[in-house]
Amino acid sequence: MKAVFISFYQAFYEEVIEILDQQEIRGFTFWETVQGRGSNTGEPHYGTHAWPTLNSAMMTFVADEKVQPLLKALHKLDVSAEQQGLRAFVMNVEETM
Amino acid sequence: MSIYQSSVKKPITTALIYVAIAIIGIFSLTKLSVDLFPDMGENTIMVFTTYPGASAADIENNISKPLENILNSVSDLKHITSNSKENYSIIFLEFEYGIDIDEATNDVRDKLDMVSSALPDDANAPFLFKFSAEDIPIIMLSVQSKESTNALYKILDDKVASPLSRIGGVGTVSISGAPQREVQVYCDPYKLEAYGLTIEGIASVIGFENRNLPLGTMDVGSETYSMRVEGEFKDAYQMNNIVVGSFNGKNIYLRDVAQVKDTVQERIQEVYNNGVRGAMIIIQKQTGANTVDIANKVFEKLPDIKKSLPSDVKIDIIADNSESINNTIDSLIETILIVLILVVVVVLIFLGRWRATFIVAIVIPVSLVASFIYLLVTGNSLNIISLSSLSIAIGMVVDDAIVVLENITTHIERGSKPKSAAIFATSEVSLSVIATTLVLLCVYVPLTMITGVAGIMFQQLGWIVSIVCTVSTIAALSLTPMLSSVMLKNNPSRGMIFGAIYRPIEKTLNALDRGYSHILRWCVRHKTVVITVLLAVFFASLSLMKVIPTEFFPTMDQARLSMKVKLPIGTRVEYSRAFAMDLTNRFKAEYPEITMCNFSVGQPDEDNTFGMLSENGSHIISFNLRLLKKTERERSISEISDALRKDLSEYSEIRTYTVSTGMGGMGGQSSVDVEIYGYDFDLTDKFSNDLRLRMEQVKGCSEVTISREEYTPEIQIDFDREKLAENGLNLTTAGTYVRNRFNGSLASYYREDGEEYNIRVRYAPEFRESIETIENILVYNSQGIGIRIKDLGNVVERLTPPTIVRKDRERMVKVSCIVAKDAVLSELVAATQEQLDQMDIPSEISYDIGGTWEEQQESFGDIITLMFLIVILVYIVMASQFESFTYPFVIMFSIPFAFTGVFVGLAITKTALGIMALIGAMMLIGIVVKNGIVLIDYTILCRERGMNVRDAVVAAGRSRLRPILMTTLTTVLGMVPMAMDKGEGAEMWNSLGMTVAWGLTFSTLVTLVLIPILYGAFAEFGERRKKRIAAKAAKLEIVEK
Repeated sequence: MKAVFISFYQAFYEEVIEILDQQEIRGFTFWETVQGRGSNTGEPHYGTHAWPTLNSAMMTFVADEKVQPLLKALHKLDVSAEQQGLRAFVMNVEETM
Repeated sequence: MSIYQSSVKKPITTALIYVAIAIIGIFSLTKLSVDLFPDMGENTIMVFTTYPGASAADIENNISKPLENILNSVSDLKHITSNSKENYSIIFLEFEYGIDIDEATNDVRDKLDMVSSALPDDANAPFLFKFSAEDIPIIMLSVQSKESTNALYKILDDKVASPLSRIGGVGTVSISGAPQREVQVYCDPYKLEAYGLTIEGIASVIGFENRNLPLGTMDVGSETYSMRVEGEFKDAYQMNNIVVGSFNGKNIYLRDVAQVKDTVQERIQEVYNNGVRGAMIIIQKQTGANTVDIANKVFEKLPDIKKSLPSDVKIDIIADNSESINNTIDSLIETILIVLILVVVVVLIFLGRWRATFIVAIVIPVSLVASFIYLLVTGNSLNIISLSSLSIAIGMVVDDAIVVLENITTHIERGSKPKSAAIFATSEVSLSVIATTLVLLCVYVPLTMITGVAGIMFQQLGWIVSIVCTVSTIAALSLTPMLSSVMLKNNPSRGMIFGAIYRPIEKTLNALDRGYSHILRWCVRHKTVVITVLLAVFFASLSLMKVIPTEFFPTMDQARLSMKVKLPIGTRVEYSRAFAMDLTNRFKAEYPEITMCNFSVGQPDEDNTFGMLSENGSHIISFNLRLLKKTERERSISEISDALRKDLSEYSEIRTYTVSTGMGGMGGQSSVDVEIYGYDFDLTDKFSNDLRLRMEQVKGCSEVTISREEYTPEIQIDFDREKLAENGLNLTTAGTYVRNRFNGSLASYYREDGEEYNIRVRYAPEFRESIETIENILVYNSQGIGIRIKDLGNVVERLTPPTIVRKDRERMVKVSCIVAKDAVLSELVAATQEQLDQMDIPSEISYDIGGTWEEQQESFGDIITLMFLIVILVYIVMASQFESFTYPFVIMFSIPFAFTGVFVGLAITKTALGIMALIGAMMLIGIVVKNGIVLIDYTILCRERGMNVRDAVVAAGRSRLRPILMTTLTTVLGMVPMAMDKGEGAEMWNSLGMTVAWGLTFSTLVTLVLIPILYGAFAEFGERRKKRIAAKAAKLEIVEK
C-alpha cells in the first residue's frame, strides 16, 4: 500500500480524476485550493495579486502495483502542458484500518 | 458558485439570458421616441391679471408689484419677470429646471389666494398657465388658393384644423392669414346725418329684423300647429331692403344710407408664401408629447386631407421640426455605426484572431441594448445626449472583455483546456475588472445628481454610461468566459490569407513594444529632464486657456431662419406688405439657398393663439425662411444670417430687426444680454441706447436689440366732463359712439349652413381716414339732439409709454447682443464688459450680464465643482484598491495632461469650449485614470514577483503597452468620426469628439512615460527610506549591545 500525494494546478482537476478512473482507483482525498511553489522551476501558485493562480492537492492510497501506471499517466499529463505544473510524491503507508 | 463558473457550466442558459436581453432591448428601441434633447420639462409659469382701464404705470403699481412681492417667496424660483401693459399684467416665474412644476403651480396658486384681496376691486382674479419651450410650433404649413380665398378660413377650419387637432398629442392648430367671413354694412356719415340716423339705430334694426321667432301653438280641429316667424336673412343682400327709418313720410331703406358687403374681416394678419397670398397653419403640440411622433401622424393624415380640399387649395410645408430632428439623429446613428466598425477593426488588429474578436465585439451590442431598456423604462428618448453617450461608451465596453479574454488565451496557451481556462482565468482577473468599473462608476454616478439645465444633459449621460459599463462588466465575467470556453481552440491556427495580412501588423506591434521599452528605460534614467519638460508643456498649455473661446451650446444649422422686421410704429399694413414683398424678391434673387420665403404682416384675430402670443402689429413683418439642407449649400447658417443682417441694416426705414436661427430653444445663436435696472425711464433709455451704439461698433457682435418697445403713437379723445354733463351725456356713451363708428357695432349674426358670421355696422372705410371724421361724429343725447365730438372735447395725438418690464422686482431694459459668425460668446462678454467699464454709469442704474452667458456660467460652475468631487471619489476608490496613498496620487497625474490635450486640441482646431466639450472632459477623467491603474497595477505585480523597481517599471510598461494602446485606440478612433462629422446637427457633437480624442491621446502618451517614472521615483524613495530606517535600527541595536 502506497500513498500518492498529487499537487497540481487547479485546472487539471478533471484530467486527474479521469486518470484515477482509468486506473480504477476509487478512493482519494481532495483539497480544492492549496498554495505552493515548485522546488526548481515554474511559477508559484499563491492566489495573491502577484501570483493569482492556485493549486489543488489530492491524496490517494493505492496498491503497490498501481503506483507505476498511475505515475506514468500523471507524467504524461504533466508533459502535455508543462507550464501548468503537476507533481506526484509516493510515500509508504505503515498501517491502515 | 461564482457567476463565471455557472455561466461556463451552463452555456445554454447564459446564451439565452443575453438573447432575452437583446430581444427586450431591440423591442425597446422600436418603442423609443426620437427627440433632439432630453425632455426639459416646463419651467415657467405665467400669471395673467387684467385690470381694465388702468395704464401701464397703474398696472405696475397696483398689480405687478404686489403680486411680485408675494410670488417672490415661492421656492425654487430663479427669476421673476413682469410685463405691465395697459389693461393687463403678465408675470413670468422662471424656475430651476428639473423641479416638479405641478408642486410649484400649487404653491403659486396658494400665494395668489393670499394676495387677491389686496388687489384693486376692478381687477379680475389672476389666472395662471404653464409655459415652456415646447410651445414652439412643431409644424407650419403654407396654404395657397385662388378661387377659394374668401371661403378659405372655413375650408381650412373644417377640413384641416379640426381633423389635425383630433390627433393625439396635437395641442392647438391655428390658422393665420385666412380671413373669416363677415358681413359689412358700410354707412355714409353724411347720409346718416341727413336722415337723422345713427349706426346704433341701424344696428338695432338689423338685429330686430334678422330673427326667427317661435309664436306658440294653435289647435285647429284635431291637429296642433306650432307657429313661427322666419325672418332670418337667407342672403346677406336681403338687408339692403330693410327699412331703417323714415324721413318726410318716406321709407328709408338700408341701401339708401349704406352699402352691404358679404365679404371678409377687415384687419387680419396677411400671409405670403414665396410672394403669393395665402394662409398659414401652425401646429403646436401638447406639453410632453413627442414632436417626431406627432409630425409623423400629421404627415400620415395630410394626403387624405389634401384630397378633401377644393382643387385650387394647395398645402405645402414651411417648417417641420421633426425633419431636422430626424436628420440629426440619423447622422448621429450613422456616426455610431462607423464607430462600431472602427472599434471592431482595432480589436481585430491587436488580437489577430477572428474568434477572439467576435467574442469581444459581441459585448458591444449587448451592453448598448441594455441602455435602450433604461431609456424606455424611464420614458426618455433617443436624443443627441443619449446617443453621444452611447458612442463614447462603445470604446469603453470592450475593455473588460479584452482583459478577460487575454487572460483566458494565456491560460489556453499554457495548456489548459478552454473550459477550465475560462473559469480560472476569469476568476484571476475578476477583482481588477470590477475595480476599474468601480472607478468609472465613481465618475459617472455623481453626474446623475446635477441639477439645472446641465443636470438634464448630464443625468442621462451619467446613467447611460454607468449602466452600459456595469452591463459590460457583467457580460465580460459571464458571456465572455462562456463564449471562450465554447469557441476557443487549444491550438489555434490562422488561415493562410489572414496570416499573410496579419504578419506585417504583428511585426509592427512587436517593434512598437521594443521601441517603447527602450524609450522607457531611457526615461527612467533621465527622470528630471522628462519631468521638467512635461511640467513645462503642462503650464504652457494652461496659457492656451485664454485663447480658447467658450460657448454654451453650439449653434445648430437646422436650415431654417426666422426674421422679425419692425418698421416705424404706425406704418400701415399696405406699406409694410409692399416692403416685405420687396424684401422677399431681393432675398429670393440674392440668396439661392432660400427655398421658401414666408412672411406674415398685420394683426391676427383672436382665434389665432400662436399669432396672439407672438409680437404682432401692422408695422411688424415676421419672416420664416427655409434653406437648402446644410450639406447642399456652401454658406453656413451663421454666414447667411449675418449677410441678411447686413442687407437689412441698409434700409433706413427699418427701425429694428432680429434674425434668429432655428425655431428658438437650444441650438439657436448665443447672445449676451445686458440687463439694465433702474426706475427712471429716460435714464435707462439713454443708457441702453448708448450701449447699443457702442456695441454695434464691436467686432463679433452681429446684432443689438433693446427690449423696451418704442413709445406708441395713439389718437386719444380728451372729453370735457363738464360739457358732457351739460349735454346730458357721459364719457362711456360718447366713447361707445366713436368705437361703433370705427371698430363697428356687432348688429347680429348671419347664419348659413350652421355657421354664424358677424354682421358689422360702421362707417365706410373712406370715412375712417382722418381726425376730422372723429371730430364730426354726432353723439345723440336722450333728447335726440346731436352734438359733435369736437364740441365735447379734443382729439389729440399722443405717445403712450411702452410696456413696463420688471425683472426680479426692478424695472429692467435688456440689451441683447447676438454673437456673430466666427466670434464667440466669451469674447463678446469681455468686449461688453469693456464697453460698460468705459461708460459713465449713473448711480440710479445697475446692470447685470445675463442671457446665454448666465446659464453657461451656472452650468460651468456646477460642472467644475463636480469634477473636483469626482477626482476625490476616484482617489478614494483607487487608494482602497492599492491600499496606498501614494500610488493613486501618481495615477492622478494623468488627469492634468488630459486637459492639456483638450486645450491643445481645442486651440488647434479653433473649437469653442462648450457644454458638450465639458461632457467630454468629464468622461476623460474616468478613462485616463483607467490607463494609469492598469499600468501601476502590473508594476506592483512585477515588484511583488521579486523584480527591482526599475526592471518592474520597464517590464510592466512593455507588457501593458498593447492593452493600453488597444483600449485607448478603440475610444479615440470612436471619437474621430464624431469630431469630423459634417452632417446635420454635427456641430453639437464635434466638440465632444474633439475633446475626448485629443485629451485621451495626449494623456495616454504622457501616461505611458510619466506614470512609470513617477512611480519609480516614489518607489525608490520608499525603498531608500526603508533601508535608512533599517540601518538606523541596526545601528541602535549595535549601540545598545
